[in-house]
Amino acid sequence: MPKTYCHKVIDRHLSGRADDGPYCDVAIDALLGHDATIGLLIDAFRTRDLKIWDSGKVLFANDHFSSPASIDRAEISNRFIDFARQEGVEHLMIDRGICHQVLVEHALCQPGSLILGADSHTIMAGGLGACATGMGSTDICYALATGRTWLRRPESIKVVFKGRLPTRCSGRDIALMLMSVFGEDGASYRCLEFHDETDNGLCQDDRFSVANMAVETGAKFGVFVPDAITRDYCRARDGADPAPFLRPDADAPYVQAVDVDLSRLSPLVAAPWSPANVAPLTDHHAIPVTRAFIGSCAGGRLRDLEDAANELRGEKIHANVRFTVIPASMAVYREALKSGIVESLLDSGAVFNAPSCGPCGGIDKGVLGRSDVCVSTSNRNFRGRMGHWESRTYLASARTVARAARLGVLDGAPAQVAGKETVNL
Amino acid sequence: MNKTHIEGAVWKFGDDVNTDVIHPPQFFSLDDEVVKSGLFNGLDSTLQPRLRPGDIFVAGRNFGVGSSRETSIRSLILNRVGAIVAISFARIFFRNAVNNGLRCFELIAADDFGRIDAGAPAVVDLDACALRQAGKTPVRLHPPNAFVNRIWEAGGLLETLA
Repeated sequence: MPKTYCHKVIDRHLSGRADDGPYCDVAIDALLGHDATIGLLIDAFRTRDLKIWDSGKVLFANDHFSSPASIDRAEISNRFIDFARQEGVEHLMIDRGICHQVLVEHALCQPGSLILGADSHTIMAGGLGACATGMGSTDICYALATGRTWLRRPESIKVVFKGRLPTRCSGRDIALMLMSVFGEDGASYRCLEFHDETDNGLCQDDRFSVANMAVETGAKFGVFVPDAITRDYCRARDGADPAPFLRPDADAPYVQAVDVDLSRLSPLVAAPWSPANVAPLTDHHAIPVTRAFIGSCAGGRLRDLEDAANELRGEKIHANVRFTVIPASMAVYREALKSGIVESLLDSGAVFNAPSCGPCGGIDKGVLGRSDVCVSTSNRNFRGRMGHWESRTYLASARTVARAARLGVLDGAPAQVAGKETVNL
Repeated sequence: MNKTHIEGAVWKFGDDVNTDVIHPPQFFSLDDEVVKSGLFNGLDSTLQPRLRPGDIFVAGRNFGVGSSRETSIRSLILNRVGAIVAISFARIFFRNAVNNGLRCFELIAADDFGRIDAGAPAVVDLDACALRQAGKTPVRLHPPNAFVNRIWEAGGLLETLA
């Protein structure tokens, strides 16, 4: 029987227990956790006297409260680290960056693997061909103790990328375009199976951006069928080739098939208060901006920092804008330092901060006040998420964020601004 | 809540009610009192104080879209919300609810959403899988499948661990 990619991955992980109708019991290859959500399960884990099923398959990162900004958070953070050490978690990454970025930089994240995480953006590992999905603390507690979880086999939607991504666009614009196609529940419970058939191939950073926001369509998995680009990334990271790749069967059944010609893409923006409220940048005119944020697991990689630096070229940002840059991991931060990107952005007026989630979830390092209007590379602009209930967040690519930081407004109309020619969109 | 009925007043919500609206991030805490107080705080800070045990939430499509943070479920449980009835649920939210014994039901007919009165008392009949309000024909709900039922009977996912 022909199978989609994720069905092949799931079938490889069946635990051998009886199927419960549409639900199957699967063994996982890795489990990802962070300081906020693991904290919620420690008591349940301890009172039931549970033990980690395989500590070599567990990766924990303290990305929400790194470093803690309040006493309460310091307590949560310490409790998390103590728990990880006492239970023998083998891959405890302290102050190394956002858990999803740290995971894809680690050999635990392999194409064809089944990964669970205590955070909805675990799906991002799909950029490397892993079937990865986020769950809540109770599910994670169960999986931590057993190495298994229950899953409904998802149907798949085939998304084929063709053509050539314009130089002014990035994976982020692809992600926003997918939001406009599917909305907030168009892929609910499904697997988005991405096929990169573009002329030049999408770079790995762009694939992570696309996979990251797949969860905002309601998808369970957002996975790129692995190929040469996947192989190159694994080789460079692991010093060894990945195991032979799974491929979907040519006649696999999909509930929907979408062909996307990337040549026609232009910079996109999601306006308050939904990631699906997407329109071209050119539809936006003279919206005053007070905050610019580049970071988060959705848009804090080298590609994003580089796009921002190339857009600004050391020019100063607008006086009304405060510009925060948070590299998604220490590894990204170091690369950006070595290549001069950090210095260039500092020259423009950016404030750098420790690799962590920061303002994305309204945590710290640039939370928004009542009158703030933020342009951000993070993945959600739900009302009240990044700060005050009245604050407004526009989601966009790093290039678009940098452009708005320079102009002081979110504006897509090519026009003369203060005597300077704007960059052609 | 007794085993066959859930009784309370109906609170109605629209489509795509996300987890940041259900429980704003600033109420994330390991302290139950903080978690309890945060329910729908940004949308309407008078809502949580007015809730009564057993109250029933009725929502449109994709209820609970967004984060996997279980604090939204914990807040609903701490506030003793009796059940959530919706046209559809976002998948992580539904899992979290099932795993913690919070009863969530999907409407069989999406059009029935409009027939349910906000503010009025209602009964969710677990045996008949229906929501009843005085003077109206019962609204049919999808029965939970055997798998979900098993978790609910046990009292939650962790209770099924041997």
